[in-house]
Amino acid sequence: MEHRESHWIPGKEEGRRLESRVLEERIQQAVGNGRHFLKVKAYGQHGIGGRLWRAGTDPVYLEIHGSPGQRVGSMGFPNTRIEIMAPASDDVGWLNAGAEIIVHGHATNGVANAMAQGKIYIAGNVGARAMTMTKHNPRFDPPELWALGSVGDYFAEFMAGGIAVVCGYEAQDPANILGYHPCVGMVGGRIFFRGPHKGFSHVDARLVPVEDQDWEWLVKNLRVFLEKIDRSDIIGQLSLREQWQLLVARSHLEKGIKPRRSMAAFRQDVWAKELGTGGLFGDLTTLDRNPIPVITTRELRRFVPVWENRKSVPPCEASCPTGMPVHERWRLIREGRVDEAVDMALAYTPFPATVCGYLCPNLCMQACTRQTANMAPMDVKQLGKASLDAKLPQLPSLTGKRTAIVGGGPAGISVAWQLRQKGHEAVVFDMEKTLGGKITSVIPKSRIPEEIIRSELERVRSALPHVHLQQRLSREDLEQLKVDYDFVVIAVGAHKPRILPVPGKERIIPAIDFLRQSKQDQGKVGRRVVIIGAGNVGCDVATEAHRMGAEEVTLIHYRRPPASGEEKEAAKAIGAKFCWPCFTKAVTEEGVELTTGEVIPADTVIIATGHQPDVDFLPETVTTERGFIVVNEFYQTTDPQIFAIGDAVKLGFLTDAIGAGRKAAHAINDILAGKEPRGDTRQVIDYSRVKLEYFDPRLMRFDDIQECAEQCTSCGTCRDCGICIAICPQGAIRKKENGNEDFEMVVDPDKCIGCGFCAGACPCGIWNLVENEPLV
Amino acid sequence: MSSDGRIAPSTLSVKDLPWQIHWDKDKCTLCGHCTAVCPVHAIELGVYRKRVVKTSVGLKETPSNVYQVYHGIRQKTDPAYSCVGCAMCNLVCPNDCIMPYRSDEADKLRYHINRGGQPRRRGGRRNVPGGILDQIKFIRISMLTDPALDAGRHEFELRTLLGRILPPEENLKLVREEGWIPPVREIYPLIIGAMSFGAVSPNMWEGLQMGVAYLNEELGMPVCVSTGEGGCPPRLLRSRFLKYVILQIASGYFGWDEIIRDIPEIKEDPCAIEIKYGQGAKPGDGGLLMWHKVDKLIAAIRGVPPGVSLPSPPTHQTKYSIEESVAKMIQSMCMAWGFRVPVYPKISGTTTALAVLNNLTRNPYAAGLAIDGEDGGTGAAYNVSMNHMGHPIASNIRDCYLNLVKVGKQNEIPLFAGGGVGKSGNLAANAAALIMLGASGVQVGKYIMQAAAGCLGSESDRCNICNIGLCPKGITSQDPRLYRRLDPELVAERVVDVFLSFDTELKKIMAPLGRSTSLPIGMSDAIGINDKAAAERLEIRYVV
Repeated sequence: MEHRESHWIPGKEEGRRLESRVLEERIQQAVGNGRHFLKVKAYGQHGIGGRLWRAGTDPVYLEIHGSPGQRVGSMGFPNTRIEIMAPASDDVGWLNAGAEIIVHGHATNGVANAMAQGKIYIAGNVGARAMTMTKHNPRFDPPELWALGSVGDYFAEFMAGGIAVVCGYEAQDPANILGYHPCVGMVGGRIFFRGPHKGFSHVDARLVPVEDQDWEWLVKNLRVFLEKIDRSDIIGQLSLREQWQLLVARSHLEKGIKPRRSMAAFRQDVWAKELGTGGLFGDLTTLDRNPIPVITTRELRRFVPVWENRKSVPPCEASCPTGMPVHERWRLIREGRVDEAVDMALAYTPFPATVCGYLCPNLCMQACTRQTANMAPMDVKQLGKASLDAKLPQLPSLTGKRTAIVGGGPAGISVAWQLRQKGHEAVVFDMEKTLGGKITSVIPKSRIPEEIIRSELERVRSALPHVHLQQRLSREDLEQLKVDYDFVVIAVGAHKPRILPVPGKERIIPAIDFLRQSKQDQGKVGRRVVIIGAGNVGCDVATEAHRMGAEEVTLIHYRRPPASGEEKEAAKAIGAKFCWPCFTKAVTEEGVELTTGEVIPADTVIIATGHQPDVDFLPETVTTERGFIVVNEFYQTTDPQIFAIGDAVKLGFLTDAIGAGRKAAHAINDILAGKEPRGDTRQVIDYSRVKLEYFDPRLMRFDDIQECAEQCTSCGTCRDCGICIAICPQGAIRKKENGNEDFEMVVDPDKCIGCGFCAGACPCGIWNLVENEPLV
Repeated sequence: MSSDGRIAPSTLSVKDLPWQIHWDKDKCTLCGHCTAVCPVHAIELGVYRKRVVKTSVGLKETPSNVYQVYHGIRQKTDPAYSCVGCAMCNLVCPNDCIMPYRSDEADKLRYHINRGGQPRRRGGRRNVPGGILDQIKFIRISMLTDPALDAGRHEFELRTLLGRILPPEENLKLVREEGWIPPVREIYPLIIGAMSFGAVSPNMWEGLQMGVAYLNEELGMPVCVSTGEGGCPPRLLRSRFLKYVILQIASGYFGWDEIIRDIPEIKEDPCAIEIKYGQGAKPGDGGLLMWHKVDKLIAAIRGVPPGVSLPSPPTHQTKYSIEESVAKMIQSMCMAWGFRVPVYPKISGTTTALAVLNNLTRNPYAAGLAIDGEDGGTGAAYNVSMNHMGHPIASNIRDCYLNLVKVGKQNEIPLFAGGGVGKSGNLAANAAALIMLGASGVQVGKYIMQAAAGCLGSESDRCNICNIGLCPKGITSQDPRLYRRLDPELVAERVVDVFLSFDTELKKIMAPLGRSTSLPIGMSDAIGINDKAAAERLEIRYVV
């Protein structure tokens, strides 16, 4: 049943206002009863006109008189048309799902809040937060809000769809028809407006031109709107296209773009303009402060590699008192220049075979870098032995400078040898018929074949004049030498045995005397021999005593015996016993009586507690201390014209004596050249710079010098292996030939990044990484 | 281990080190970037010998021994070259094959970084993660009781006042009588704290200043920055940007003769003058800018000859009592700018802060009090000072604020809190917590370094080498090779990012509380903590 005529529903009954609930029930009931044209007299009731679904698809028309309450037409259905004949309260068309709502007056806050479909026509101004949270469901037409006047503050917040049209006619605030801060959070929809505004959220919305189709839509629907609100009379005033503007929501893609000045522009146009060129510090520094990458080249590298070839001394050379550059000899062998390697020795020692090959404890091998990793040290003994064939180089012609050397032992021969090679005349004065000192007189034959010594001494004699003294030098003789020669070198050795001040000391034979005799196969010993002093000389005595027939040999010492090396091994091999601590109280017929009362039976007692030099012939200008001559680092005595070397200065190995001779010769040469004598200022290379990982740790014996040479790490001296060239990630290193087989590794600063790989990889420890020069 | 295989008491293995380099041989391309960039030379190219014993199955052939040599990255174990964990190696590695990892146990290195009897010194922060500020929650959410605010949509007044605010009646009286009214600045409550020119590099410093100028001039945010004690470049002094700058004067007085001579040229008053008495990271200890950091630029700005060490003593030399210290110094600094510029002291967090504050409340020239808590950072300090000295900021600022409340002056003399604000990354939350505990604003340093310049420091002893001029990011180095890694423009951009995001976050905290028109200073009913003792101590709500 259908009732076309209007049905009146009063909002008041018997003088009392109906509750919103009751009015709602009555409206719903009427619609349910087929009443589709309702007139309501409202008294502020809530939500009038919404949810009229009972009419099905039939249209429902609701005319509201009086004062409707909040949310008129809320949740309106598409079949519903509501006309409010007066101003409306808050939230007109809240959550509108399709109703058409016309307000013939102003509307307060919240018009169309959350509206999704339908149309709302307001014949006046609207309050704050209109068209907020509106949506456009793609299944339906977008919702529309039409306002004849202006809209209030915070218009279109979070608007997500729909169309709003603000006509700006007789606006509440003619200067700003969109209110304060519209469009915040707007993500969809369009807003046509006519009249001035005071800004909107540019982050969320933007103005776009009104295109022809927009205008067409607007004019067509504007006519409809004005008809609905009975203001068709002003269509002309409102139809001026140039007065209309259109706001649309920015898409999420557009929102990232913030319309503010770039920092680069700020720096250039504001910062530098106020401060001046170069910014904050432009007046104080001209230093380039522009950004650079983390990995840099040239002067911007933090570190630079340095090829420190031969800058530091290898441990072998440094530990050799003679100063033999052992690694250089191995290099020559590697390069196939065996002869040169052999001959080179003579530049450092007159006894390469005798000493390096046989008698030296080879401190170079003890210091060898390979030893630090328990790898076999470079076998210098082999090289030493091979040096027997070393040929004397062409001797330079004489300079006219002359040095007298007193003593023809290893020290004296060494200094003379060196001086002669520098062109200075060196005359050796010695008591013996032949030169050689202890090498020839006291070293047991078991330690070295005689022909080796003979051969090397032959070489020495060919170069050095020798004055065979018939008697010991006196002070006067020495003064005369000082007059006759530019320098005098004292190399008399230490031959005065130290004798213990104990009862029976006359029974003791000095070791040096015994060894001299045994060397001539003349030393006589009893069956039982006790040697006081268990150093290496004591050991030599022990082996010689055994050779001469002793059956029981005992070495006693006041502390742990200092003997070492081959000498000790040889003594042990003949069954010598080492006793300590032993303090000799007396020497008797029975043997050696100790302070403990014990007697070690002995037929022969030999003392080997060291010797002292005989320095009686020295002038008073030469200071001695505890019997030894005092010298400076260049072996110069307190008399500048006199040098002293060898055991006369300090007891030591043969190599110590030879080295002292070489250093003294250098100093004399420097002084003769008018220079300050200079020592070696090079530092010993740090073991850690050498990379043993390149070598086979299981190789414990070398078959020949060739094989040995290959295993030398060449500490501190470039092996020219090319690892640096290969490892450099930048390809910055190349080998530069300087002619005469000389070369260097050079770094291209344009390529090098200062990574230090060259230093890390270099087997020889040549490359170093140092801090680059400071830039400021 | 030494090359001869011996060990010494301080011989360490990689296992003993706090940061251990993991290197992947398979991925490494031996490009050299990692060793080139490592600030402390903790890594180098190593030569490795690899042994393979070739044995056939069934032992049919005689086993043989083969050595191969390969190259790779090796970590040094010498304490002088121990890895600091900065991970620059990883940053530059094209193949992602190298990375420092933190040791899984307490390191042994700590017992050996005192060679020559010199205790460890470093830069950075207290290596203690977390803190009370991170535990404070904002528990008063406006649910129907107040109009809920929307951080994105509402307008917020996020400014604070720096200066002495007189009670209205007193102020009006002075206006009538044309008397002296203390200067007050309306500033942004997040202040970039003191980082001196010298402690940080020229590029970093310029970046900070540029960012601050941008925030003020382009975005209308009245952010200000303290110079730290290292003087102020003359160009900045004479520019309009000076109004965003808090000039700091400290016990070394560096650069102040230059500033004084520039006063006639100054066209804008500085934002404020901060008198530094202490630093939270190393309270009671002074500073020392090592001679090698004092290059020509620093020397010019500080007004000293280059290459001379610059000590800032722990105390100001001519102050003998609290009354005198505060009064004399504040008065002098007020006078310098004709009493137009707010002057306030900055002290390190201490139980004696209340005494200082009581003194300030009686001093009409005191514009505020800044307190720097134990979690503050520094360019250089003794490890022991950094890790063990100082007072946490939360209770210190709370005590001071409640004391002001007691004497009714909480709206008159602003407190500024610093030291560990945002140390775990929670800048806005920490700042809001301090503000609600009673601070009018907060000062940040480390957070800015991290966010604006990429500082690598952390609470787990990462990097921390600000003191030796090797900052891998170029923040605290005076070496152009390092600081040129930092682009001032990009720093400035990041400063802007930090403040904009902070602004949003602060609003996100304030909006639900229903506050938009003024900072919730002292709004302690809005905060709570799930630690009863802390709640009692701070006089805030205990929530579980």
